[in-house]
Amino acid sequence: MMRARILFAVAALLVASAAVATTVTVLVQETALRKRPQSYSPAVGTARLGQKFETEGLESGFYKTGSGYIHSSAVTTHKASVSGGDGVGGSATADEVTLAGKGFNAQVEKSYGNKNGGAVNFAGVNAMERRTTSEAALFDFLREGGLIPGGAK
Amino acid sequence: MKRLLPFAAFLFTGCAALQNMDVKSMTGGRFDASNIDYSKVAKGVTQIRKGFEEISESEEYYIGRAVAAQVLTRYKALNDPGLNAYAQKVAQAVALASDRPSTFKGYHVQVLDSNEVNAFAAPGGFIFVTKGLLKLVKSEDELAGVLAHEVAHVAKKHGLKTIQTSRLTSAFTILGTEAAKSYSPQQITQLTGAFEGVVDDVVNKMVVNGYSRDKEYEADKFGAQYAKNANYDPGALKTFLARMAKAEGGNKGGMFKTHPAPDKREAELGSLSPSSAYKRSSERGRRFTTAVQL
Repeated sequence: MMRARILFAVAALLVASAAVATTVTVLVQETALRKRPQSYSPAVGTARLGQKFETEGLESGFYKTGSGYIHSSAVTTHKASVSGGDGVGGSATADEVTLAGKGFNAQVEKSYGNKNGGAVNFAGVNAMERRTTSEAALFDFLREGGLIPGGAK
Repeated sequence: MKRLLPFAAFLFTGCAALQNMDVKSMTGGRFDASNIDYSKVAKGVTQIRKGFEEISESEEYYIGRAVAAQVLTRYKALNDPGLNAYAQKVAQAVALASDRPSTFKGYHVQVLDSNEVNAFAAPGGFIFVTKGLLKLVKSEDELAGVLAHEVAHVAKKHGLKTIQTSRLTSAFTILGTEAAKSYSPQQITQLTGAFEGVVDDVVNKMVVNGYSRDKEYEADKFGAQYAKNANYDPGALKTFLARMAKAEGGNKGGMFKTHPAPDKREAELGSLSPSSAYKRSSERGRRFTTAVQL
């Protein structure tokens, strides 16, 4: 009987340990932390590349964190080291490649641009990237167009 | 029974130690460079990445930039700030309602100064739509459907799926054994060659030959869903496709060459109904007419 209780207690400890929050790491330059697990919920903060959050579970595709809800597509739940594969046989994962700025990066793009000269227009791409709509302006656009009937509050 | 106690204590201590490692690495936010991935150290073996799924977010972004740079050499960008800004907002609206609202550096739209009826989406979120296509679009809801189709290509990584496995194997072999963030001249030559092949694969499929029918139908299906999630009328995509079918006539270039026939896409979409929050808006009509004057 006592033996069964101890085994139960050990099992409970293991389960409790596993149930403790998962850590997620942000894999995009920046993404919104939202008030609720909804796309049109207002942002309450910004999460940036490499930032880690302890989560309390997944709701409607968003991880709940102490700082707000973050979309699951912008993070990884895998442990990721910023140093990538250094010192462990070069076994960098895709997540680590992003965090460490390795792989196909700006240096590779520069070399590719030099090699292909007039066949690629990176200046045009840079101009395209400068065109962006802020979260506030986007929400005004949505509200004015009747796309958030109740308004995002 | 007593023999079990040390075992239980060991398990408890071990779990606590693992948890402590996580907690230390959290530090309330910023990435800690001193963080070490102990699980990998324990494994201690080289595991080179294999498929397109293992292309990182940042690599997808750089592939997308190079593909976009080729598109902008083949087509001239339309210099109409009002129209470009408007298309950008509509694209961001549907992207926000998609299953991939954030890419590495976000979604960006460029209208192309071409009468060809066409639209493309490069990996990472670089979306192009031609003036010729916009002339066929008659409302913001239709534009939302067209752009949502392109967002779906990005969200479902259709561009990355066109890269030949042999190219990826070659690129990952070079990248996987390289620990430094910057590369030697010899390594950069090898990597540039691999990168070139990867970019060419995507350009050839996206611009020249077109994705498979399955991928186009999938982009239609998810595009309609994103438009619905964004409280646009998803049926507007079908209305646009019906107009495109009429416009096809003898036109065999652009989207008519790279996509399945519009009437088949329309049939494949089936019946579509708006969300319960959908409502008509005169403001959408007003701003569409103001921005799209071609």
